[in-house]
Parts: sequence; structure tokens; C-alpha cells
Amino acid sequence: MPREAWVLGAASNRFGKMKETGREAASRVALEAIQMAGLEPKDIGYTFVANAFGLAERQAHVGPLINTALGIPEVPSCTIESACSSSSAALHEAFVHVAGGFHDAALVVGVEKLSHLDTLTATSYFAIGADYPFESHNGATFPGLYATIANAHMRRYGTPPEQLGSVAVKNHANAALNPHAHFQKPITMDTYLNSPVIASPLRLYDCCPFSDGAAALVVVAAEKFPNPRTVPLVIRASTRAGSIADMHDRPELTGLPASQRAAEAAFRQAKVDRSQVDFMEVHDCFTIAELVALEDMGFYPRGEAGRATADGLTARDGKLPVNPSGGLKAKGHPVSATGASQVVEIFEQFNGMAGRRQVPKANVALAHNVGATGSSASVHIFGRR
Amino acid sequence: MTAPELPTEPSAAHTIGEYQHGYEEESRLRGFRSGCGFVTATWGLRCPRCGQLDLEEFALSGKGHVVAFTVQTVPADEFVNDAPYAYVLVELEEGGRISGWMPAIRAVTDLAIGDRVRWVPSYKPGVQFEKDGAGAGR
Repeated sequence: MPREAWVLGAASNRFGKMKETGREAASRVALEAIQMAGLEPKDIGYTFVANAFGLAERQAHVGPLINTALGIPEVPSCTIESACSSSSAALHEAFVHVAGGFHDAALVVGVEKLSHLDTLTATSYFAIGADYPFESHNGATFPGLYATIANAHMRRYGTPPEQLGSVAVKNHANAALNPHAHFQKPITMDTYLNSPVIASPLRLYDCCPFSDGAAALVVVAAEKFPNPRTVPLVIRASTRAGSIADMHDRPELTGLPASQRAAEAAFRQAKVDRSQVDFMEVHDCFTIAELVALEDMGFYPRGEAGRATADGLTARDGKLPVNPSGGLKAKGHPVSATGASQVVEIFEQFNGMAGRRQVPKANVALAHNVGATGSSASVHIFGRR
Repeated sequence: MTAPELPTEPSAAHTIGEYQHGYEEESRLRGFRSGCGFVTATWGLRCPRCGQLDLEEFALSGKGHVVAFTVQTVPADEFVNDAPYAYVLVELEEGGRISGWMPAIRAVTDLAIGDRVRWVPSYKPGVQFEKDGAGAGR
């Protein structure tokens, strides 16, 4: 029987353009998360690092560097890579280690720094997360790949651009209240509709930015830390799933099968019904991705998440708030820090630390994180003690 | 002590490099068919749908119709001088799908889902398509 595992500490820096290196930022947020948990670095039994594009900084094997900076060089570490879902994959591994009894406390650190690269080079780094010879070599960029999903979704369900725009407007409004966010300025629908097309039908404001950033989590065995100083996130479910890697080989273009599988498994594992989820952080690398995520996970019927978003149901004060942090879209998307940062948001919401973006109810929350175009997906469900 | 006898697991009929060389240098676009009916133009050792070994290799006509597309104004790194162009997902006549690009499509009004397209060998990278049949040249 697995042990109950908690997220006891969580920290993030401000996403955007980091002056310091990835290892510095990662070490700082790691120490902050450990201190928030009321632990010492020596309490950590294993460090799981996510840093998919570390080579962009001419640095690999960053785990020992972080542990050395924290004063725990003897602690084992490894780097987990799953494209944009790298740090949710690292969280899953930490959960398995802690719940399985191998360690009482594990550190999860996600970090990425790409802002020192020009746009074309950074775009090229992203492209290697897809199937390079069979997608990128045929002309696809990541906006292009998600644009084909949007194209198919619009064709089948009649999704208008304004429904995509409502995702962008909502998430920018949320990010404006988030001190960790890359973009802290609301946008209007007019701004959205007048922004240039990047990959039709996706416009500039459909796309998440290239962001630097770092986020860290401390995962502990509940039985070993009976008197937490924070409101811990009880990990009710930690699931991952995959699907056929190439989008063109999947039978259906308007959904991501890995998200569907991971969510179904998560709801079974957590013994939680969708109606019990108070809010969630979902993978919105592009506006269409948020709509598809809500439909894949069964929160809305196919083709109806856009209308729900336009009607305000997913706003901070809506029926089911989605991405109160601002999401990847506006909080930013430092690839390997993103999954952990979603959990930082949930941790802050549970602990009443979210300030003006605090959601009305925070007892059960879900985090959904996608690797590439859905060839990998993670779903975590958190509850209270 | 002798090494244990391992079950035979033949390698794929080609490498990814040979596959690309086929359409880039030999005017040969290849597909693979599984016993379950799955058709793909993507390299693999077994069928991603049913797991079957020994996929049947055959020559693709390169003809099909568009099931989804985008016109990219920001190009992939191998296509910096070609933007805007369309990135297309094509359903092949033989079944199965392939991705490719269309340099002649420079606006969303130049192409529609359902339009017929055909593969054209090119000195440029990637699987390149052009419009085929009645809609060509629109």
C-alpha cells in the first residue's frame, strides 16, 4: 500500500528573462521551497531535476550542481526529460519514490533558460520536442502543430476565433495579479484580434511566450512529518500517459489521447469526481490547448469549452476557475519549470497566498501538463488532509 | 557458456536516413501497412496501433487530401527563406496520414480542408505537396 505523500513546500521565481543562470535560479527556488516546508536540505533524500534544454546553457547534469549549492552534495539526483511536461514527470517520479517508501523527502526542481538565444534558435530547440524528421523537417513549428489542432477543431465544431481569444483575455487578466508571471498586463479582445497571425488560425496572443524560470517542490511522506507548518497538498493522484508521437498518425486531431488517458487514470486513483474539482491549472501553451484540455479531461463536451470560457465559467470567479495563475499563456512557459509551477500555484491557493487572484474555494485541485503535442501528459489531483 | 538464443526481432526495413533519402533523392515515398489496417509513413519497428511486427512496405502514390493545415508566417529553422508556407496533414489515398509542407500556399484562402494534393519531389527539405486536380492553381 503506497504511503500518503504531500507537497509540503513550493516556490517559484518570476518568469520572464532571468539574468542569472539556470543552476543559480534552480538552487534559489529549491532552497526557498525547502525552507517553506520547514525542512533542512539534509532532509532531502533525492533530487529530481527537469531541465530539457540545459544544453542551451552549455550545461547538463545540473542535479549535482544544485545539490552542491544546497550543501547536500552526497544526495543522489537525476534529470527527467519529457519536453514541456518534464517537471510534472519529475514530480511523478518523486511521488513514486516517496509513496513507495524509498525516501521520506524528495526535491523536484524545474528550470529553463532560453532568453539568451535568438528567436529562431529558441524555436529550433522547441522543435526538437516534436518528431524532428517526420514533423519539424516537414516544416512544422510548435505553433504550426497546435494550429492544425485549432484548424481541425474549428472545422468540426465551428469554434470561432473569439472563443480562443477569450482564453487569452482571461489568462492575461489572471497573470496581471500574479507576481510570478511573465506578462502582468491585461489584454482586450480587440488587442487579441488585431495581433499578427503566427500560424493560422493562431495569432500572437494565442501563443505562450518563451520564458525563463524556475520552480521547486518538496514532496514528503505524510507519516514522517506529522506537524506541517504549511497546508500540505495531499497527492491524491499522480498519473502519466502517452500516445502515438506524431500528430498525423493519430486518428483524431481535435483531442490529445494522452490527456484523456492520464485524466481517466487520475480520477480513478484519486476516487474524485470531476464535480469535486474546485479549480485547475491546465496546459495552455496555445489557447486551443486549454479548450482541448478541458474537453479531453471530460469537464466539457467536445466543442463546448470555448463557449464556456467565453461565458466566464472558467474565470477566477467562475463556476470552475481554470489557470488562475495566468497559465502558460501569460504566466509564461519556461518549458521544464512549467509543470512544477502549476503546483506552486495550487500550493499558494491552498495556503491563502494567492492575493487578489485567490479562488473562492481550494479544497481539490487538478494540474494537467502536456509534453510536446500530447505524446506525453501528466495529471495530478491534490486535496487537503 | 553459450549466449542464450534470443527471439528473432528483425530490424526495420530501412533507417530514417534511408527513408528521407528515398523521397529527397530517389523520388520514392514509402508507406507501411499493418495487419490491423493501420497505414503510416513514419519510421517504426512495430505497428503503433496493434503492435504487429513485419510491417508491409509499399510505395505511396503521394496523393491524398488535406485533413488539417496552417499557414505559418514564422517558419521552422530549415525553411527560413520560405515563409509564409502551409504545413499540412494529408490523408493518403492508400489510407494513413503524412505531414508535409506546401510552399505555394501563402494565405489561408489558398487552401481548404478536403482539397486534393500530391507529393512533388523537391531539392528542398521535407515532404513537399502541391494542389492536385480541379482545385489546383486556385
